Amino acid sequence: MKKLFFLFLMMTLVLALFACDGESSSVTSQTTAQPTSSSISTGSELSESEIYALLVEAEELSGMQSYNGKLISESGDLHLPSSYRGVTIIYSSRNEDVISNDGYVTLPDECWIESREQDGITPKPGLNDNWPIVVDVKLTYGNQERSAKLMFIVVPADGFTCDKYKG
Amino acid sequence: MLKKLILLTAIAVLIFPLIGNFSRVKAKDMPDVVYTDQDYSRLHTVIQHVENVLHYGHGYNSETSLLPDAINTLNGEPAKWVFPNRAEVPYADLANQQNFMRTLVALSMVTGSEKYKNEAISILDEFLTNYQATSGLMYWGGHRAINLDTLEVQSTENEDGPHELKNMMPYYELMFEVNEAATIKFIRQLWTAHFRWGTADLNRHGSYGTAFDANVFGQPLIDDVIKMDNDGLPIIPKDAPGDLPFVNAATDLAYAAFTLSHLLGDPAPKAWAEYLMRQYHLASHPITGMTVYQYKSTMVSKSPSECAIPSYTNSGCGDRVARQFRDFGPIARESSVQWKNTQAIYVDNTLMLLEAADKYDIDYYVDWVRGYLEGYLDYTYIRIEGKNKIIPMFYDGTVTYGYTVPEVGYYGPSNMRLGYVDMPTTYLLPILRTILATEEAIDKVKLWNYFRDIVYTFGMGDVGPLGGNHPALNYDTAIDDPFALMAMIELYEDTANPAYLEVARTIANNIVRERFHRGFFVQNEIMLYSRLDQPETLALLILDGVIRGYSSSEMPYYLADSGYIHGYLLSNDGVVEDRSYTQTVIYVKTIYDWE
Repeated sequence: MKKLFFLFLMMTLVLALFACDGESSSVTSQTTAQPTSSSISTGSELSESEIYALLVEAEELSGMQSYNGKLISESGDLHLPSSYRGVTIIYSSRNEDVISNDGYVTLPDECWIESREQDGITPKPGLNDNWPIVVDVKLTYGNQERSAKLMFIVVPADGFTCDKYKG
Repeated sequence: MLKKLILLTAIAVLIFPLIGNFSRVKAKDMPDVVYTDQDYSRLHTVIQHVENVLHYGHGYNSETSLLPDAINTLNGEPAKWVFPNRAEVPYADLANQQNFMRTLVALSMVTGSEKYKNEAISILDEFLTNYQATSGLMYWGGHRAINLDTLEVQSTENEDGPHELKNMMPYYELMFEVNEAATIKFIRQLWTAHFRWGTADLNRHGSYGTAFDANVFGQPLIDDVIKMDNDGLPIIPKDAPGDLPFVNAATDLAYAAFTLSHLLGDPAPKAWAEYLMRQYHLASHPITGMTVYQYKSTMVSKSPSECAIPSYTNSGCGDRVARQFRDFGPIARESSVQWKNTQAIYVDNTLMLLEAADKYDIDYYVDWVRGYLEGYLDYTYIRIEGKNKIIPMFYDGTVTYGYTVPEVGYYGPSNMRLGYVDMPTTYLLPILRTILATEEAIDKVKLWNYFRDIVYTFGMGDVGPLGGNHPALNYDTAIDDPFALMAMIELYEDTANPAYLEVARTIANNIVRERFHRGFFVQNEIMLYSRLDQPETLALLILDGVIRGYSSSEMPYYLADSGYIHGYLLSNDGVVEDRSYTQTVIYVKTIYDWE
């Protein structure tokens, strides 16, 4: 009888714990973005908030942000950081012809936008040659993820053309 | 025995999750909070502010209970609109005082004194009795105000300024309580004067001369004006006859109609409000999710010679983005811009839709706004040098960052280069309220992750994983912002986690320290005018009420503080005649300008 009562008491306690954390636990089961500290696959003892702070730090200190707004005028590998203190960094370019997902730049052979005055005829050369390229970033530590974005400005290759007016 | 045990276990399984959820949503079951001396000290500053506004405001002209829109904190005088002819007019524009009305009611709630609410009733009673045009429109809004010297109606836009409300969201519940007939008549005429029933054209300007139509919402609903092309993309009509359906005006129309349906139990205004909001939804981009400021462009009605001049930005020359940004091709339309007027789209309209979803059971609005915000943040949100920013782009995702404008136009001067746009703290509330209104946890994840980043970047610490039950907040945050305060209050109510209340108190203390000067709440220490529509006092009172055990939903609710006056005036140099806004001419003045 005592054992049964003890068993019931334990079940009650366990259920109460589940009930208190119902929302976050149900999300954890459906996504991979919200691990508990004990579920971090790397075996780290970091808490969720510490991991979050680390993911922010990876964005700020890994070196990737130094590219924001920087003029890129040469083709080749940008050597974007792929890890930072155990954080895995993956890039996804919105224009892979200019910057590939692994950070390789191919200078475009045409201007970004051919600009003209509002008459649609008079050219405004050199005004909008450089390409703004957004690269989405996924930072992962264990099962926890964060997203970020980078903005690159890429100069077209020597001898580029600028003759595809859209207006 | 075993059966009993199974039964007990089953009951426990059913009951405990209910208790767990229940404790997070019912304000009356929140933990008891000790009301501290510091809490009272903050309340005292609000009382001082309100008493000073009433004292100096009423003191200017004893023949009226109307108050000025703003008070000079050095001498207690009303703010004055200086016309090009040098006439200085102290003005009362009730559309710009709605947060003060809400503050007065909230102050009565937390103090138990009806005095403050009675002040609001007295002011609204005089206004609704004396300043309603025969047609039903009120003399308030962007171009009309009451001259506090003469108590006559004043136009700031020539002699016959139109009616204009843009995200002013009047406190209709109180207006209805004060003068039901006048409020109903106003809401009906708001639609008659601004909306074209046969074409769904909408003009932010409404004429005071338009005849009253008592059966205005009895018009039959028309087909949606937004159709899709073969690719499933919305076709934005170019046929508006000079009437542009700006969402900030539509937000006020819809809010008024929803309120009228609720107050009268008449479904017709609500049906029209839903129709109007649906046009914006249909015009949204189906792939990115980003939505629009307007669902039509104007037809070309001006001559080619007039429109050949880039600086002539009249909408009679057609879509103004298509003119100035034509380099981008067909995507360049006013409707698709995502770097200007986004507060009206993603903050003010969103808050109204969420309010309607909650109060008037339009559940699908929650899904709509979640789609808008997710799309907008997915595509545009970026952190630059530790700040929350927006990448300028069109709503299909075409980036415009770095674009240099070839010639002058409606959106700015020639050679203007588009850069990042600041994301203000106002975005906290629509994002958080959307998360809280979303039912399924899985649907909250994306917005929560953005919310977490945005809160962190504003310096409030980490709200933690979804649900916010395990935050690591910055208890010493320096932020002194009413929107951040309201966000922390709403998180506290949702989680019952006292950490949010502690941060809310810190922010509230910061607000008092940084913004309460010379007996008034001002934007910062050196600003000259205290504006009645400022949200600080309402936010502080909502906190005070929550500490006392009220639910924030029981208190007057924050929706907007977009009040302004627009028109012809004399610039601050005393020489140049200009056409501008109170926000850029009057409320930028500092105490040093005055001295």
